[in-house]
Amino acid sequence: MIIAEQKPLDEIKSMIADYQKVLILGCGTCVTICFAGGEKEVGILASALRMATRLDGQDKEFIEATVQRQCEYEFNEEVADLVKEADVVLSLACGIGVQTMNEQFPEKLTLPGLNTKFLGQPTEQGVWDERCLACGDCVLYKTGGICPIARCSKSLLNGPCGGSQNGKCEINPEVDCAWQLIYDRLKALGKLDLMMEVKSPKDWSASHAGGPGKIVREDLRL
Amino acid sequence: MNREENTPGISPMEEMSPPCQVACPLHTDVRGYVAAIARGDFEAAYAIAREPNPLIYVCSHVCAHPCEEECRRGQVDEPVAIAALKRFAAERHDLSLGHGPPKPNVEPKEQKVAIIGAGPAGLTAAYDLARMGYPVTVFEALPEPGGMLRVGLPKYRLPREIIDVDIKGILEADVEIKTNVCIGRDMTLSDLKEQGYEAIFIAIGAQQSRALRIEGMDLDGVLLGVDFLRDVNQGRAVKLGRRVLVIGGGNVAVDVARSAVRQGRPGSEKEVHMICLESREEMPAHEWEIIEAQREGIILHPSLGPKRILGRDGKVVGLETIVCSSVFDSEGRFNPTFVPDSESVIEGDTIILAIGQASDLSFLRPEDGIELTRRRTIKVDPQTLATTAPGIFAGGEVTTGPGSVVGSMALGRRAAISIDTYLRGEDLTGLQFGEWRELDDLPPKTVERIKPLTREPMPMLPLEERAFNYEEVELGYTLAMAMRAAHRCLTCGGGAYVDTGKCAACLTCVRVCPYDVPIIKEGAAFIDPTECQACGVCASECPAKAITMKLYSEDQLYQEIDALFADAPAENPEPLIVGFCCLYCAYAADEWAESVRAQLPPNVRTLDVVCTSRIDIQHLLRAFELGADGVFVAGCVGDECRHTEKAANRIQGKVQFVKEVLDQVGIGSERLSLYDIPSAEWGTVPRIAQEMTERIRALGPNPL
Repeated sequence: MIIAEQKPLDEIKSMIADYQKVLILGCGTCVTICFAGGEKEVGILASALRMATRLDGQDKEFIEATVQRQCEYEFNEEVADLVKEADVVLSLACGIGVQTMNEQFPEKLTLPGLNTKFLGQPTEQGVWDERCLACGDCVLYKTGGICPIARCSKSLLNGPCGGSQNGKCEINPEVDCAWQLIYDRLKALGKLDLMMEVKSPKDWSASHAGGPGKIVREDLRL
Repeated sequence: MNREENTPGISPMEEMSPPCQVACPLHTDVRGYVAAIARGDFEAAYAIAREPNPLIYVCSHVCAHPCEEECRRGQVDEPVAIAALKRFAAERHDLSLGHGPPKPNVEPKEQKVAIIGAGPAGLTAAYDLARMGYPVTVFEALPEPGGMLRVGLPKYRLPREIIDVDIKGILEADVEIKTNVCIGRDMTLSDLKEQGYEAIFIAIGAQQSRALRIEGMDLDGVLLGVDFLRDVNQGRAVKLGRRVLVIGGGNVAVDVARSAVRQGRPGSEKEVHMICLESREEMPAHEWEIIEAQREGIILHPSLGPKRILGRDGKVVGLETIVCSSVFDSEGRFNPTFVPDSESVIEGDTIILAIGQASDLSFLRPEDGIELTRRRTIKVDPQTLATTAPGIFAGGEVTTGPGSVVGSMALGRRAAISIDTYLRGEDLTGLQFGEWRELDDLPPKTVERIKPLTREPMPMLPLEERAFNYEEVELGYTLAMAMRAAHRCLTCGGGAYVDTGKCAACLTCVRVCPYDVPIIKEGAAFIDPTECQACGVCASECPAKAITMKLYSEDQLYQEIDALFADAPAENPEPLIVGFCCLYCAYAADEWAESVRAQLPPNVRTLDVVCTSRIDIQHLLRAFELGADGVFVAGCVGDECRHTEKAANRIQGKVQFVKEVLDQVGIGSERLSLYDIPSAEWGTVPRIAQEMTERIRALGPNPL
């Protein structure tokens, strides 16, 4: 799922500086689960902003709402009246939700309250790890189910590199070397021969490098 | 039509109810009032306990408390002391606020209702009907109302002024009670009809002792139990011999025996024996009554049947008994079997029979059209309590045989509903009474995780002070005892409920629950109310705000925080400190609610929270937003927590998070403190408050 985290309060304050009535709009899906932009986080941010802006001598009003999925027009339609009422929308959705709102309500600016970080896994309560880069050409079948694109700092297809030290990545001793993990997994599976296969350069045009992604399913269109 | 929907104390259940409430014939919201006591809100506790119960003072002393038998705390250690807590709430209640809720604003009705018998069933029906707007007259044969409460129950269990308190409350509800009017002697049922009573409720109880058909019943010294109790309770002289033999093993027999112990003067030697068919384990009297009887020196002779009463010169000299090997046959019917040639004699000069009671139905005439059952009770429709005569209803012991106070009251309530239906010309056969759905037993894995807490014993009059007087034996709880007793309640069914429409199935509740209750079912969290222990961790952490606590919701805590600031002076010379204090850690602390709180200076305001794990990040922020200069959270952090360490520890992360927010906002993290206070150190709260006040004074006011 999409993992995000809230922007620093000062940055949010400066974004909303010119607006009096702010709709803080949460999203009930990924960002709820990663404790960045669900109904609870909306309430906390509203409380913090009320206090912070009052301390700055500003008289702002904050409206709180959360929709089920901010990347869908239909769900956002439920808050159309609140959007109309507000001077600006502060979205606590991922970047997709922010853009959906801006497209859907062009007369009103929707600001990002979060930094969308990565596609990841909640590995334990309160911990999220990046797991996928959306490269558009999945190689997990060659690497024991461990993604070298997302989890190797260099996205190497033929690792490890010389920076692998005691199973850790040279960029940070807290970060596992993805290729060490791949080696260990393949060994356990009895498939070390896969390590011998030299992977040819990846076609990055399947990823964002090929321009903005788009999928169309004609069979599903109305 | 479901008439229970709008009836006080009786409501159809949309969800599963706690077993205590289901077991109570009046369906008292036991969980509600025990929880209110646990939070120190004693008037709220009284109001909840009083709502369905116009005889709350009587019940608080003598209720048979079937609730306790079903209490799920009993699966862990011992049941919550519910009856003692009701008494505490009643004793704390300020009667100048009124006995019960004000009379509802209903249109006065014209149809008059007559009630025969001012006992628990009659009084309850009268009270309910009066509140519905009917003119109600209760006819009572005895000089004072109360029925068996007044002439049957011994004063050491129920002081008479307690009855008077409830009677006064019933009279205030515009019930008319005519005493010294015996239907059958002074008036007939036909007379009542002729006087314009359009409905009649017969609630005369079962006030006649059953006799035995054995040799010697006519001897001098043979007494009937109910007559004996009536004489004792009405202060008439009762002559007992030196060795009193009480026949019977039920509650009335124990009342008789314990009253016999109290008769006479100091110095007179007396022995009281109880002889019953049942084995000690089978004795129908409540166990706690039997134990007290034994402590008072009463000698039990179980498994013995009375064969004949022995006499000399027309006076009782003893009882010949025979060993009873079984009381009931294989189908559970009363059919005692005796061991041949097992006769023996117990010497005694007074024999009191307490082997059961029946109703005196001699007032009924054939033209009344009221049929009886084979058991010599009045035949009624079990749903509506209608007798075979139109407009005449009956309930209580006259239909059930000997029973409990609260059981009779419930029938009085049912009769009131039926009578109202009848008088409004509606079809009685359509009357349906709601079904109650009960929470199942705690599963073993939950029982294992619930911390045992010792039941608070009831303080009792010392044995040496009981002889030859009728002073009440049970003395009632002190405040500290009541708080400890109330904190044992598991608040069954008062826990977490999930709004599946909001739930993101994030698994937070599944992970944080100290009891491993939540699961993901059909795409959303499911929290089984059978297992939930109402700690509140899940609700305070749910990122979708999809979980609500039924009892003491998050919103209620917000309201309480707001209320703290409602009367805060604008110009406060001292810093305003708000303390979130865990109430459960206080169970070991005496008098936290009153004496410790009273020591707090006026600038310190505390909120009792039922476990710090219920506190939400936003609750803490709210206090600052409303202008608190400092906030502290006080509760055990660690294994003292009744909900295990896992729950107690959750507050640390929340406090840390709020501190970071406060720094970002510009209020400053040093204005928030978490104090880890084990239960034994509750007296330190005033010191903490002082320390916090001084620290915050140095910081200056909340910049907001």
